[in-house]
This record gives sequence, structure tokens and C-alpha cells, in this order.
Amino acid sequence: MSLFAFLGTLEIGLIYGLVALGVYLTFRILDFPDLTVDGSFPMGGAVAATAIVAGINPWLATILATLAGSCCGLITAFLAVRCGILHLLASILTMIAAFSINIRIMGRPNMALLGEPTIFTPFESLGFNQLHVHLGIVFLLVLLSAVFIIRLLSSDFGLGLRATGVNDRMVAAQGGNIGFYTYFGLALSNGFVGFAGALFAQSNSFADVTSGVGTIVVGLAAVILGQTLLSSSKIWVSVVAVIVGSILYRLAVAFALSSGMFGMQASDLNLITAVLVAIALVIPKMKAKLRVKSLRF
Amino acid sequence: MIHLENIRITFNAGTILENKALRNVSLTVSEGQFLTIIGSNGAGKSTLLSAVSGETPISEGSVEIDGVDVSNWPVHKRARFAARVFQNPLAGTCATLSIEENMALACKRGKSRGWHLALSSKRRNFFQDRIAILGLGLEDRLGDSIGLLSGGQRQAVSLVMATLADSHILLLDEHTAALDPRMAAFILELTNTVVKEFSLTVMMVTHSMKDALASGDRTIMLHQGKIIFDVAGEERDCLDVPHLLEMFSRVRDEELADDSLLLG
Repeated sequence: MSLFAFLGTLEIGLIYGLVALGVYLTFRILDFPDLTVDGSFPMGGAVAATAIVAGINPWLATILATLAGSCCGLITAFLAVRCGILHLLASILTMIAAFSINIRIMGRPNMALLGEPTIFTPFESLGFNQLHVHLGIVFLLVLLSAVFIIRLLSSDFGLGLRATGVNDRMVAAQGGNIGFYTYFGLALSNGFVGFAGALFAQSNSFADVTSGVGTIVVGLAAVILGQTLLSSSKIWVSVVAVIVGSILYRLAVAFALSSGMFGMQASDLNLITAVLVAIALVIPKMKAKLRVKSLRF
Repeated sequence: MIHLENIRITFNAGTILENKALRNVSLTVSEGQFLTIIGSNGAGKSTLLSAVSGETPISEGSVEIDGVDVSNWPVHKRARFAARVFQNPLAGTCATLSIEENMALACKRGKSRGWHLALSSKRRNFFQDRIAILGLGLEDRLGDSIGLLSGGQRQAVSLVMATLADSHILLLDEHTAALDPRMAAFILELTNTVVKEFSLTVMMVTHSMKDALASGDRTIMLHQGKIIFDVAGEERDCLDVPHLLEMFSRVRDEELADDSLLLG
């Protein structure tokens, strides 16, 4: 793999690290399997692209994209908490609806950002290498997001959020409002995913409604991969692990595709992902089994 | 003070499974009183407690805590008045959080939870002081996941957690029933210590008539959703388990007699 390809992979890995943070919040913290991300990721891209083309400041466009993602999360939370629809189904409904809405937002299924200003352009015009600029800014934004999540989850409020996914009866008995935590958690999670979508669109200079397909699996792969390698009950370790997992996942995929050793092609990506996730899910169980066996003999 | 007025709770109303868990129960537990509640299975003991905590919606009647009508309040809003310890030791604590994080969660019971760090050195010292009274050595293991503790230890921590926020009502739902006899005795003793130290108002549901008489200062017995007797003071001091059983069977006999009149 060339250095150029490596840095590009690193950037994508970091951007999807934000998706992984969102998935970590829902799957791990809230125990709410949320497929909304397949809709909120392209929505982030769609909103950012449309806003930028309309002449809005790219940073403001990115914030709008984040808010749009949060709205998707709120709708899923509303369907689940208020209407009592099964978690998984509620999120699938939002995801499907988001597909139509994304086309409405852009007015077409995809949109190019070539020649438009992005959050990266001011730094590129200073004469830095484009790839370095992308990587640096994305790294900083991911770092800030990670610090924010770690700080949030260490607060009184965050503790309530963390307990909600494990023992909601206890949280209610301690005066925590489960419904509110669910709304907040889903809005935050999908906000991150919308944010990632906006960065992805600006980095690649296009937004596409189909870019959301499989976002949830990629996010899940990152969370599981990261937490299998770096397992700890400490929040900051888990958050770092999730982002590292995202980067490793991207590197593994890039390696498998570029080496061509198994005769892989780009369209095999979903298969590779599914196999990776399955393996990462099985490893902890195998470990536990081995431990039991070694205790017995 | 807890005041229940004509509480009626019916499960599966209007169906063949209709079950009148509580029938027009009125009860006042005054400030500082330690009420123990006994009764056979399905008598409505736990339902009575969850009518106070809000977990079971009442069909009719009203619930008042400290002079506030909370009949329509959800569980989490009522939590600021009363702490609870559940029968299942796993239910009262959050297994993936550490002991100190569980305590931090409990010390904010019924208050708004904000951006403040959940664990400060000030709070840690406070938790250490409080958990030391258990004598289980947990004050040196605050960072351990609470999932590593035994059921009895978790129940003991739950009791300490119940005293961290400044409410003065404690609802105990057969909190010793899932423990082995030695641990159950320890938890009961601890309960009495804690109740005295923080002068709490208590409603304790128990299966054990012995415990019901040994702890607290007032005892009620429920049968088929009604309070069939209510003793306190000297009258209660003279009671022992055989007396209780006798009273219970007398009440049931009367009921049978009523039925036979009806049927006959």
C-alpha cells in the first residue's frame, strides 16, 4: 500500500470513527440497536452539500448537517419511546424515510462539491498538501469529539445515560428519566453520524444518498473490533478503542482489497465486513470457552 | 409521611384474568414510623409498595407523600421522596458500573444530573465514610465493578446507596428474601441501624412474620388486597408468631363463614 493510499485510508478511518462513536453510544451505552445511522450519515452529507452549494459557510453547513442527523435520532426515539415501536423497527422506519428525504434535500440522488469551498479549503489555499490538511483537520475534530464524549460519560448525567442501557428500572428508582436519556442518546449518536457524513462529503467532494448503505455494519465492526482488542471498563479506553477499531477496520479492508491476494474486488467490501464482524463477535465467546476448559483440566 | 386513600388496583380489569390486587386500601404512615407489611403470596404486599413508588398505576384512589399528591407522577419523579431496595439484589445496582459510580448515581437521586464530574475526591471520601459502616472492606474497593460482589454485598451497598440522597422515606420490598439466612440477618440488622441513624420512615414488605415483629414499630397484614389487621405499640409488643398465625386463621375463618352464609 502506498503512503498516499495509507493516509487516505487513515482519514476515512477517522471519519468513520465518528460513526463508531455514535454506534458505541447506542449499541453499547444505551443498548438500543439503532439502524437510523444508515439514514443520518447520507443526510449529513446531503445537508452539508446543499448548504455549501447554496453559499452557506462550510462550518455552518457542517453544524446544520449535525443537527439534521440529531433530528433523525429524535424521530427514532419518538417512535420507540412515545409510540412503543420495537427499537430495531423504529430505527428502520426512520432509515427508510430518510432515503426519500435526502433526495428531497438535494433535489437529486447525488451532488458534486467540486470547486465549492469546504472546511478544508482555507488551509489548502495556504499551500499545504491537500491530504495532510484533510487528515489534520479530521484528526482534530475526532479528538475533540472523543474528549467531549469521555467528559460527558464521566458526568452525573453521563452516569445516568450509562446505567440506562444496563438497568433501566434502577435508573428510574434513582430519579432518572429513561425516556429523556433515550431521546438524548439517540440525538447525540446520530448527530455524530450526521457530522461524519458532512465531513465525508466535503472530503470526497460529493454527497450521495446511497453512501449510507451499511453504515451501521461498518460502525458496529469498528466498535466490536476495537473493544475486542482493547477491552476495559474504563470509559476513555473504550472510546479510544472504538476509534482505533474504525481505523484498523479500514486498514484491514484496504489491505485485503489492494493486495489482491484473495482475488478481492471493491464490491466484496460488504462480504469482508460481515466476515470481520462475525469473527470479532465469535472471538470473545471462544476465549470464554477456552478459559472454562483450562479451569477444568 | 405517606398517605394512601382508598387505593384500588385491578390487574387485567374486565377480562377473565381480572385480579383485584388492592381493594380500597387506606393507610397512613406517619413521619419516622417503621411499618412492616406481611401477608401470604398474592395478598398485595408488593403491589402496595409499588403503588407508593409509582411502578404500578393505581386504578382508583390517591397517593400522597409529604403532603404532595403524587398519584399521577411517574416513578422517576417520585424517586426524590423515597429510596427503594428491591428483592432481587441485581435490580438495585448497575452491574457494569463500579461501586463508586453506583453510589454517585444514588447520591443524585431525585436531583437534576448535570455536567459535573460524577466522581470527585470529595465525593469519594464521602462514599468511603458511608460504605465503611458495612464492615465489609468495600471502602478500599470502590473502583471495582459492582458486578463482582455477591448478592448480599450488593444488597448491603443498595442500603447504603438509599441513604446518600437526602430523602427520608425507604421502601423495602422483601429485600432479604433472596439471601442466605446469615446474610439476611446481617442485612436486616443493617437496615435497623440505618433506619435509626437517619431517622427514616420505612415501609418494609417481608415474608417472615418473625422479622416483621422484630423490626419496626407497626405491623399490618394484608389478605386478598385488604388490610386485615394493623397493630402498633404495646399490643404489638405482646405479639409473637403463633399469635399472628392464630389471628390470621381467625380472620380467614370469619371470611369463610361469610362465604358460607352467602352460599348457604
